[in-house]
Amino acid sequence: MASCAVARDAVFALRREIARIEGTLPQRLDTPGATDDAGDAARLRIGVAGFDRLLGGGLARAALTEIHGHETRECGSVSGFALALASLLLEQAKEPGPVLWVGMSEVFREAGFPHATGGQALSGIAPERLLIAEAARIADVLWVTEEAIPLQRLAAVVVEVRGNPDKLDLTATRRLHRRAQAAGRPVLLLRQAAQAQATAAPVRLVVSPAPSTPRHTFAGPLEASIGRPAFTVSVDKCPAALPGLFTLEWNPDECLFTERANPEIRAANPVAVVSLSGGRTDIAPAAGQVVAFSKKGASGAGGQPASRQHGADRGPRRTG
Amino acid sequence: MVSLHRDNTVQIAALDARAEALGLKRGMGLADARAMHPSLDVVEADPAGERRLLEALADWCDRYTPLVALDGVDGLFLDVTGCTPLFGGEKPMLDTVLAQFFAQGFDVRAGLASTAGAAWAAARFRGKLVVAPGAERELLAPLPPQALRLEKPVCAGLDSVGLRSVDEIMAAPRAPLARRFGRELLIRLDQALGRVDEAVSPRLPVPALVVERQLAEPVVLTEDVERLVQMLATALKADLDRRGEGARRLELSLFRVDGAVSRIAISTSLALRDPWKIRNLFRERLAAIVSDFDAGYGFDLARLSAFSTEPFDVRQTGLAGEAGAAEDDLALFADRVRARLGAGAMMQPVAVESHIPERAVALRPFAGKLPHGGGQRVPQPLLPERPVRLFGRPEPVEVPATELPEGPPMRFRWRRALHSVVRAEGPERIAPEWWRNGEEAPERDYYRVEDSEGRRYWLYRLGHHEAGKPPPRWFMHGLFA
Repeated sequence: MASCAVARDAVFALRREIARIEGTLPQRLDTPGATDDAGDAARLRIGVAGFDRLLGGGLARAALTEIHGHETRECGSVSGFALALASLLLEQAKEPGPVLWVGMSEVFREAGFPHATGGQALSGIAPERLLIAEAARIADVLWVTEEAIPLQRLAAVVVEVRGNPDKLDLTATRRLHRRAQAAGRPVLLLRQAAQAQATAAPVRLVVSPAPSTPRHTFAGPLEASIGRPAFTVSVDKCPAALPGLFTLEWNPDECLFTERANPEIRAANPVAVVSLSGGRTDIAPAAGQVVAFSKKGASGAGGQPASRQHGADRGPRRTG
Repeated sequence: MVSLHRDNTVQIAALDARAEALGLKRGMGLADARAMHPSLDVVEADPAGERRLLEALADWCDRYTPLVALDGVDGLFLDVTGCTPLFGGEKPMLDTVLAQFFAQGFDVRAGLASTAGAAWAAARFRGKLVVAPGAERELLAPLPPQALRLEKPVCAGLDSVGLRSVDEIMAAPRAPLARRFGRELLIRLDQALGRVDEAVSPRLPVPALVVERQLAEPVVLTEDVERLVQMLATALKADLDRRGEGARRLELSLFRVDGAVSRIAISTSLALRDPWKIRNLFRERLAAIVSDFDAGYGFDLARLSAFSTEPFDVRQTGLAGEAGAAEDDLALFADRVRARLGAGAMMQPVAVESHIPERAVALRPFAGKLPHGGGQRVPQPLLPERPVRLFGRPEPVEVPATELPEGPPMRFRWRRALHSVVRAEGPERIAPEWWRNGEEAPERDYYRVEDSEGRRYWLYRLGHHEAGKPPPRWFMHGLFA
């Protein structure tokens, strides 16, 4: 009897080991409550119960994580979300190191340069601790990133690219992911104005801005003011393979995420709070008006692709 | 034959032996020469090209000594003090230099002497000659005054009073000479005779340490060059060790067989000694310049020079682990990124005393230094609300003319897309820095606005509405989280 139990323990230990190597912990999904309180050194807890449970206890520390934004003008939200994650990482680190932000010149030109003062106001990361590397070509961006990942001193590496460059394919993401795993360092891959693409990252989040709540004062909410930054985060890919949609609010003062209790708090606002669909096929809805062409005109423009078939880079440039 | 425009005439600037045999001379008018010999082949002089050629030759002469200086438009000074034993003595060195110039197709006259003036005179007036120390007087005595590197009017003056050789000048009393022809004459004389020191100012800065390697067989492959760098760096390390220093700025000079010299420089954030690290830095640099790195027929001499060095603190590694190694790694990483992608590739933002948003943060090249202490959180109310992304150049925004003169816009068009503002905060008025832009520069009124989709922007209005003037313009300056 006793030997049987020992053997079973051994089998479980082996299973856990295999699951750890594969990066999936299936038993977490069976008993979500068991790990929620205990926490896990290998995972970064976001602090929102449902979100953490979906990610299997939090965001893996030794992994590549993709964070997508639909449009270039939503880049502020994506960068803000990444900075908030970096802030959480630093908060929980024993000896906080600098954060390296590697970006393509194209992104910095199109979406603005990361502003250290704004980053500090949002995440508490001192300007001197946010190192910025800039390269004009995607190959150089990947080179800098791959060289930076093994550095012990860095707390996190943030890589920012725009659109879907050819060189950033499954192989490139796998290289980044393997290096991140080997070094035990989180790598956040920000992809502005990008479409979902095959990736080796275990988690892909799609971040878009959410309308903010008014500022809180002693006299109640302040009318027409802009409160804490809010994000609509869609879990596009995760080991649990369950889609999820969350509206998170970042509290820069206390450095924590909260889930918005009542998304309809802005009922007066006629616009839908959630701006994207949960599925994958239709993630970049056209902002323009759909105009029906006459039959004759349609046949005349035979060679032209339909407006939806344009590349991802066309997405953010659509006019209203 | 080469012609040159000078003093409103076209003169002969240079000519070959055959033209000389025809009785032509330098300085002669081209029209006269043509009248004498109508079949002359004339090329126009190209002073800039000649200068480039001379500089290229000076570069090439770096292989003999690091102290190479240009002399006028057609001469080079090489300070070979201490270099001659490397070539087997003075005479063999002179022979080597002349032979190698001849092999490249140059007709060169050279002289070697203890003083720059004597060497100059020997080269210009005697041809190939090594002047023994102390023999300057015998060399100069029979030569005309031009051998003293004097200006033309001085020579003409000396000629007019009958002083036609250096010997006569030396015999004449010094005081009247100085009074009549200026101090320069005596200074030149003393310099040539070694009574006064003359410093040859080198063209290029002289490195603190140099190691070099002559190759029997030229190398072409980049990998071989890298291996060569490591060999040189190993040799350099011994010197650095002895001085207790590390290199901060290094330059690799590769001398190509055909005379071209490539120089590849790197600089480091920390004093560096390790040959392997030096090799890695050069590898990045070579990878970056691979397109315009032309090995041609190969390099036959490689030199590694350390231009600036710094005391190198040898850290004792603790038993528990290496404390400072991680920080050094970061600095080395930054160096490698810079070596490959350029100086602006790795930056560290530093807060600056300025309330203009784009000036509030300066980007400095990351030097491997991080502020001490942890990332303490700054109390939030002290920090102004600033966007996480800031446009380097604020982008113009169209605001319909029907807007209210004050307050935030209701709608605006940015990058051809119309945004309707749902809520806004502001204004935050930021006045320009009068000590920079003058007092007339308009103020900016910043608004934080949120559009109907929840995107948050930072807009500003430049100036105010005033009667009789065009309405103020709006700009997009940043994106909030």
